[in-house]
Amino acid sequence: MVRLITHNLLACHVKGCNSNNFPLEFKDVQIELREAEFNPDFLKGFMPKLEWKALVDAARQLGDTSLPLELPEMLDDDFLKNLHHVLLEIHVEEGTMTCPNCKHEYPILNGIPNMLLAEHEIG
Amino acid sequence: MALKYLIVFAQVHHEFRIPELRSIAELHGFTFSLPPSPEDQDPTRPYMVLDLDEEEHALILARRCILIKSVYEFYGQGSTYEELHASNRKNQARWARYVTDTSFRFIVTAYNHKIPQARQSEVVESFSYMGFLGKIDMKNPEILLGCFEEYTDRSGITRSKHEGDGQFRQVYFGRLLEEGSARALVGKFNVKKRVYYGNTSMESEISLLMANQTLACPGKLIYDPFMGTGSTAYPTMHFGAFMFGSDIDGRQMRGKEKVPGVIRAAKQYGTASRMMDICTFDVTRNPWRCGGLFDAIVTDPPYGVRAGAKRLGRKKELSEAQLALYMEYRNKPRSDDQPYFPPTKPYELSSLAVDLVLLARYLLKPNGRLVFFLPTVTEEYEEVDIHLMLCEGMEVIANSLQDFGSWGRRLVTIRKNTDREYPPPSFDQELQAPSTHIPAHKDFREKYFQGFKKEGEDVPVLE
Repeated sequence: MVRLITHNLLACHVKGCNSNNFPLEFKDVQIELREAEFNPDFLKGFMPKLEWKALVDAARQLGDTSLPLELPEMLDDDFLKNLHHVLLEIHVEEGTMTCPNCKHEYPILNGIPNMLLAEHEIG
Repeated sequence: MALKYLIVFAQVHHEFRIPELRSIAELHGFTFSLPPSPEDQDPTRPYMVLDLDEEEHALILARRCILIKSVYEFYGQGSTYEELHASNRKNQARWARYVTDTSFRFIVTAYNHKIPQARQSEVVESFSYMGFLGKIDMKNPEILLGCFEEYTDRSGITRSKHEGDGQFRQVYFGRLLEEGSARALVGKFNVKKRVYYGNTSMESEISLLMANQTLACPGKLIYDPFMGTGSTAYPTMHFGAFMFGSDIDGRQMRGKEKVPGVIRAAKQYGTASRMMDICTFDVTRNPWRCGGLFDAIVTDPPYGVRAGAKRLGRKKELSEAQLALYMEYRNKPRSDDQPYFPPTKPYELSSLAVDLVLLARYLLKPNGRLVFFLPTVTEEYEEVDIHLMLCEGMEVIANSLQDFGSWGRRLVTIRKNTDREYPPPSFDQELQAPSTHIPAHKDFREKYFQGFKKEGEDVPVLE
């Protein structure tokens, strides 16, 4: 778990950490690949919500270079299959996600990220 | 032209029936009409005749609605058998094709009553004018004809076995089109057979009804912000949707084994790949980068009887000296096996409900739905309680009571009826506009433990 689709939606939410707080940086990660059902309509519907560069960077960091740096205009089948794989089939099981701005570390344990904030971080 | 179908409902959760029919019709893009008279629309009655455009729609309802026992092609009804037969004759065009060579079986049954065997045979005989020539086959008939007498509820009245026989309120007749197959899911998702559950897990039938209210289907992304042991997730994923869950208490989702409990349960149902992700966070301090993400939000918020709602923070703020001590403690390195648990404070139910609607308006796509349970005190509940939680862009489309006597819980379905984008809520109770109306669900926990006594009444002291 912690699929890249989830990683693409989570920003640091420490009190006052409002800029440069996304994407969180993966560190010391263990990944697993697991098959998911291919649903092109879901992918197309979700694309407007994605931060493309953050997704491509995260995928490359985890060793998947199948996505183009620029979002293509034509969404052909090959592209959608690659996007499907990157978004839904790569699972980060262990590691941390670090805020590029305030350096808060969000640990991932057995696939569940702990996004709880400490007392002094909620203001 | 509309076709009429007789719906036989399961005798439970009657307030949930019509909302469920409406949801499944909307999900599949068709409409239906209720019977014209208010008396025939009464959702407490076990039989209802619906107008549908196509037979296919009746099949869809039978295969997806949890509360449908069976669907019959409608041939006739009446308050007497004379009326029934007259109406059945008018519909001859619908049954004429079965006259010449179709094996059949005939059942005569009643709701709130048992018809003596002899009269059952009489009733069957009374249909002889239909002239069915096919053979009667009790085991594998090609068609099943059903005749249903509806009696008013006479429970609590002592009477002899067949007293009042024939004094039914209405009688219906039709051909079985489809047995309701979705009811079997109530057994499939039975909590006791689930590999992982907790003391607040919700019974399967209710969680299936919730899933239908979300319009779950393949390609949708649905979120539960108070996921707990995942009760809302399993039926939703069964219907094909992706599910995202979060909870302030990760232990609820994890359980004690290495593979998190909610994942193990999802695997049991063959839907683990649809569990998009689960995260530990307080929804009032959430990390969502943007809104407009979800097709539905479905949740059973903790309301304090078995598990209280909590949010991050302290009941009392720390003094400066305490804060200094705390920061010193925070800055010390800690080993991994001693995770930090931040302090929490109670989250009052009526504030939680208001926040939930605002959060849903932010996180839902246009036309997305918020489906959640709200416990209320039966005697004090007023409809305005629900409407006070609303904000611009959010409208109530269903509100069904599950009645437990002095209290109950309402399954509320709210739709986002706008394309506008809204900011995330502040979750700051002090900023909420004060209202003079106090909803019946305010301080529900305290009221529950006081046995719903009114002010001035004696509160029984527990030994």
